[in-house]
Amino acid sequence: MWVYEKKLQYPVRIKNPNPKMAKYIITQYGGPDGELAASLRYLSQRYHMPIPEAKAVLNDIGTSLTKLLI
Amino acid sequence: MNHAHADNERRELLEQIRAIEFMTIDLNLYLNTHPNDRRALNEYNYYTRQLQALRREYEMRYGPLTNFGYSLSQYPWAWINEPWPWEEDHYMEGC
Repeated sequence: MWVYEKKLQYPVRIKNPNPKMAKYIITQYGGPDGELAASLRYLSQRYHMPIPEAKAVLNDIGTSLTKLLI
Repeated sequence: MNHAHADNERRELLEQIRAIEFMTIDLNLYLNTHPNDRRALNEYNYYTRQLQALRREYEMRYGPLTNFGYSLSQYPWAWINEPWPWEEDHYMEGC
């Protein structure tokens, strides 16, 4: 279960808005091969892990990636 | 206390929380595959304690960082107070 945190993991200030770059970045985030899709894959793959170490790694990477995005 | 100064303090406290959170996330991930590393575990607990104290301080001064029963709120319900992370421009100056 997720808990929303009312802060940014890493704040950035956009000095020079760049629509082309913005489009590229949003694709890296939410696109078919982006971070969001990857994090959900990790969270599905964790169900198939045979050992505690691997379950924890996939669970935690899947959750920390989503925290980065939201 | 003027606004710029208060924003500065808030930003600095958040900066510290972020830095320590980074330590706890990384140590957590390392410990997942090295659960018997006592030194790493001690470090994890050390930074976790620091993080808990800093979050408490932040929440007392600026309101809850989390909701759904993970943080207390003063009256009136402070969770709805602005700015939200995607709005906070004024205390992000210089980052």
